[in-house]
Amino acid sequence: MTERPDETPEQREARRRRAVLGERWTAASFGVTIVASLGLGIVFWRGGQPQLEGLFLALALGGIGVALVVWATQFMPKQEIEEERKDLASTDEEVAEFQAEFERGEHILARRGLLVKMGGAAMAALLGALVFPIRSLGPRPGKGFKDTPFAKGVRLVTRDNKPIRADDLVTDGILTVFPEDHTRAADAPTVLIRPSGEIRPRPGREGWTPDGLVAYSKLCTHVGCPVGLYQSEEHLLLCPCHQSTFDVLDGARPVFGPAARPLPQLPLGIDDDGYLVAEGDFSGPTGAGFWDRDRD
Amino acid sequence: MVTRRVARWADQRLGAANFARTALGKVFPDHWSFLIGEVALYAFVVLVLTGTYLTFFFDPSQQEVVYNGSYDPLRGVEMTEAYRSAVELSFDVRAGLVMRQIHHWAALLFLAAIVVHLMRVFFTGAFRRPREINWIVGVVLLILGIFNGFAGYSLLDDQLSGTGLRIAYSITLSIPIAGTWLASLLFGGEFPGPDIISRLYVIHILLLPAVIVGLIGAHLAILVRQKHAQFPGPGRREDNVVGERVWPTFAFKSIGLMFITAAVLCLLGGLAQINPVWLYGPFRPDEVSSASQPDWYMGWLDGALRLFPNWEIRAFGYQVPNPFFPAVLMAGVTFGLLFAWPFLEARWTGDHDNHHLLDRPRDRPVRTALGVATLAFYTVLTLAAATDVTATTFGVSVNGVVRSFRALALLAPPVAGFVAYRLCKELQARDIARGIPVPNPQPRPRRAGSRRRPPPRPEPAPSTPEPVEPSAAP
Amino acid sequence: MTSRTHAERSPVSRLRRAAAPQHATVRDRSARLLRRPPPLLAVTLLVAVVGWYGAMHLQRVDAGTAPSSAGAWGQDDADLVEEGQALYRVQCSSCHGLDGKGLRSPDGDVRGPSLEGSGGAAAYYYLTTGRMPLANSEEIPRRKPPAYSDEEIDALIAYVASLGDGPEVPDVDIANGDLAEGGELYRANCAACHSATGAGGALSYGRAAPSLDQATPRQLGSAVRVGPGQMPRFGPDALTDEEIDSVAAYVENLHGADDRGGVALGRLGPIPEGFLVWTAGMGSLLLVCFAIGRRADSREAE
Repeated sequence: MTERPDETPEQREARRRRAVLGERWTAASFGVTIVASLGLGIVFWRGGQPQLEGLFLALALGGIGVALVVWATQFMPKQEIEEERKDLASTDEEVAEFQAEFERGEHILARRGLLVKMGGAAMAALLGALVFPIRSLGPRPGKGFKDTPFAKGVRLVTRDNKPIRADDLVTDGILTVFPEDHTRAADAPTVLIRPSGEIRPRPGREGWTPDGLVAYSKLCTHVGCPVGLYQSEEHLLLCPCHQSTFDVLDGARPVFGPAARPLPQLPLGIDDDGYLVAEGDFSGPTGAGFWDRDRD
Repeated sequence: MVTRRVARWADQRLGAANFARTALGKVFPDHWSFLIGEVALYAFVVLVLTGTYLTFFFDPSQQEVVYNGSYDPLRGVEMTEAYRSAVELSFDVRAGLVMRQIHHWAALLFLAAIVVHLMRVFFTGAFRRPREINWIVGVVLLILGIFNGFAGYSLLDDQLSGTGLRIAYSITLSIPIAGTWLASLLFGGEFPGPDIISRLYVIHILLLPAVIVGLIGAHLAILVRQKHAQFPGPGRREDNVVGERVWPTFAFKSIGLMFITAAVLCLLGGLAQINPVWLYGPFRPDEVSSASQPDWYMGWLDGALRLFPNWEIRAFGYQVPNPFFPAVLMAGVTFGLLFAWPFLEARWTGDHDNHHLLDRPRDRPVRTALGVATLAFYTVLTLAAATDVTATTFGVSVNGVVRSFRALALLAPPVAGFVAYRLCKELQARDIARGIPVPNPQPRPRRAGSRRRPPPRPEPAPSTPEPVEPSAAP
Repeated sequence: MTSRTHAERSPVSRLRRAAAPQHATVRDRSARLLRRPPPLLAVTLLVAVVGWYGAMHLQRVDAGTAPSSAGAWGQDDADLVEEGQALYRVQCSSCHGLDGKGLRSPDGDVRGPSLEGSGGAAAYYYLTTGRMPLANSEEIPRRKPPAYSDEEIDALIAYVASLGDGPEVPDVDIANGDLAEGGELYRANCAACHSATGAGGALSYGRAAPSLDQATPRQLGSAVRVGPGQMPRFGPDALTDEEIDSVAAYVENLHGADDRGGVALGRLGPIPEGFLVWTAGMGSLLLVCFAIGRRADSREAE
């Protein structure tokens, strides 16, 4: 133990005892690490188990951590050291030297103003050209953003690509449907509902709901989550993401939440074989809105 | 003895002895709140180590495959290779699940530590000159951390994160004029596109970590160069730094903290299940689950999307859709204000001096109140991401919860700010009553030409009227 | 730009040993902790361990009732129907009207809907989950212990089934079901309201899709065919009986789901995860920082 001149014998004894205790704890912590590492090895050898793996890893790492911290706080020299904080900015001489060095080159540049300007323009042009490969990252946003595979005569199918008859749905029933042969189209999921109330068709959509069935795009017009929750008593479609709520009987008009536009409606018809078909594409682009969504 | 020989060998080739001595002799103030930034750093170290392990097993391909592993409820189900490799990692790789969970918990902790560290820096005024650069680096690190976390948990292509990707796509779409272009370039076409997972993979394991590592390096280098700030106290002035030397005390404590941070993360990773993707199922664009939330550090965005009323701008066939306002505009204003804060405060207070002594929050009541108000606002938004779970947990109407949170978002900040302000004043008054002086930096010796306010002219002592001496009249 | 000359700067760090401070140092505090860990710490650790252990092994309370008979639910048994009718008249007619035709209060509100055509499945579902009887028609039906004995329920089922042509109490055999197919059907049709983990979910205006952790296969099958409350209905063309077997098998699997990652935190996803990282994660590490670092309490000593 180092001598300290300003210490009483009691303080010295207390310091000695503290050091011994600290040493014991540090040694014990390192010991925990050793045991835990062995444990981890055994767990692995026996096939692994996430809880035990995590526990033994934690003990192994924690043992070293606690040991180091106890070592540092208990029996390292406790000092408050002072260090001077020098002025961060350089001295005037240093700055002057730097400017002189730099100007030697700059002086040369300064006399060739046109070359410097041309050089700058060349760099800018090159950087501009290098941006072009980014164009290959994706296609020009085209009509695909505004239409889906639904068109007149396209049958509605389940996710197994099986066509649907009108009476497959009971009252208060709901089904997620797709355009035939496009069950993976991410812009086309549709909810087909037979609501127990009376549908009030939008102007111009009187023939869109044969046999009391109505179909809307399943993609919320807020940020595109599937509107999967159907409340059959209140005839409301609820989006689980941000709670936009749409009135199924009233053209899927938004009645609560952040959605500002109704769900696009799909005109339904029944073909000669009795299967449900679309009579055209949706009443508007599906999913979230974008700048020129309403323009052709 | 071995270390001495090795050190000598290295020094003969690199000549680092002097540098090492200076570096190891540097003094660091040892207040406990200065360790929070270290916690973030060590969480990042854990992220890199566990993440590297995961890259050996994860396959970011959107190729459709059929699952045939050991988790029965998914046997025979079609899914992408990305999701399949994630499930295999969780069930059929010996340390896979614990590494995945440690990695995910570390991401959550990394951002939590950054936020607490940011609060410490803000409330103690450590962002003032000369530390504005480091403040900006720090805010950039926060943004990159958020993005990288989102990219990371979206890689697994499960139903929950896929829903989040759809939301990100729609938010991108909502940007006026450029939205559809940006979305198409990012995703390679319409959602989901054929490449998004592999692109996110490159972003998540290479691009963003590289920038983050570089910025962390800059953050630390600047900190060492400028020396850490310190709280006022005995012997502590603007022109010195008082604390512990790097070697041995500070190094031991820091490395010890690193191991303890890693231990806490391993404990969480083993004992607390996180992101059980096998229960969520593979992503299908027509499916969704109730209680869909992002990770906590995106919660403020989700809450903003839920609370913002359904306002849109529609004119001349063009529109600025609703999500633009909470998710792009508000986010932009948030980070813009964060970036600008040191300069705004310097301008408003007229204080352009160097500051190496920190403030106690109580000593700057206005700044503290503004900070608490802002914190309250974003806390309300983050909690608002849980409107539906709040409703079911307490058996109340989710519509009512949304309306209440809207009101809270507007009322909580001014109330919290006011309370904080009053608290500061009260604490200051108590300090004065107990004779504890409000800390003032010691007067610095004047250096000609430095940009600082002149010291306040000493108030003239209250003068007692001096007897006018009778003039010696001739 | 400062104008300090090189000469004005003093050489590298000056060291000064401070006198041992009189106030409590980190060393003193840590030493005290090491000598005698505070009892609070021990209690906290104990609670944490017990709590984690308990959470890991939380038993699910299964409130399912044993069916009195698989198959026929007694609507052909005239005695049972009569017994049911007598019971109905006493217990249910005050809201659902005599002969199950429904009842309206004087101001036109529905006190109890008509039970005609609702089927034995509806009676089975509502009675075995305790959602009926309701204390008053304003109340939102929630799962409770059943109010009637198994025999009484059988009789009521028989009576309600005799009131029309509604769905029969289904025979659900989870051994017949395909777990993977059930999962796919569940995620396609049920997860939107009941959540991917069966934890339930919020609906509008105070309603909620309930958690499925107490649903028996037969209750599940009944609910699917009946569409109780806000739930939509799935007829045999939308979900076949075999598909219901599969969905029920999957929901059973969810009950004992493989939470191999550890404590499941209610299977609610990122919300409890976020809470845990802030409390247990950041909280414990802040305590560690507090223990390692210095407190700025030196001011008082001035």
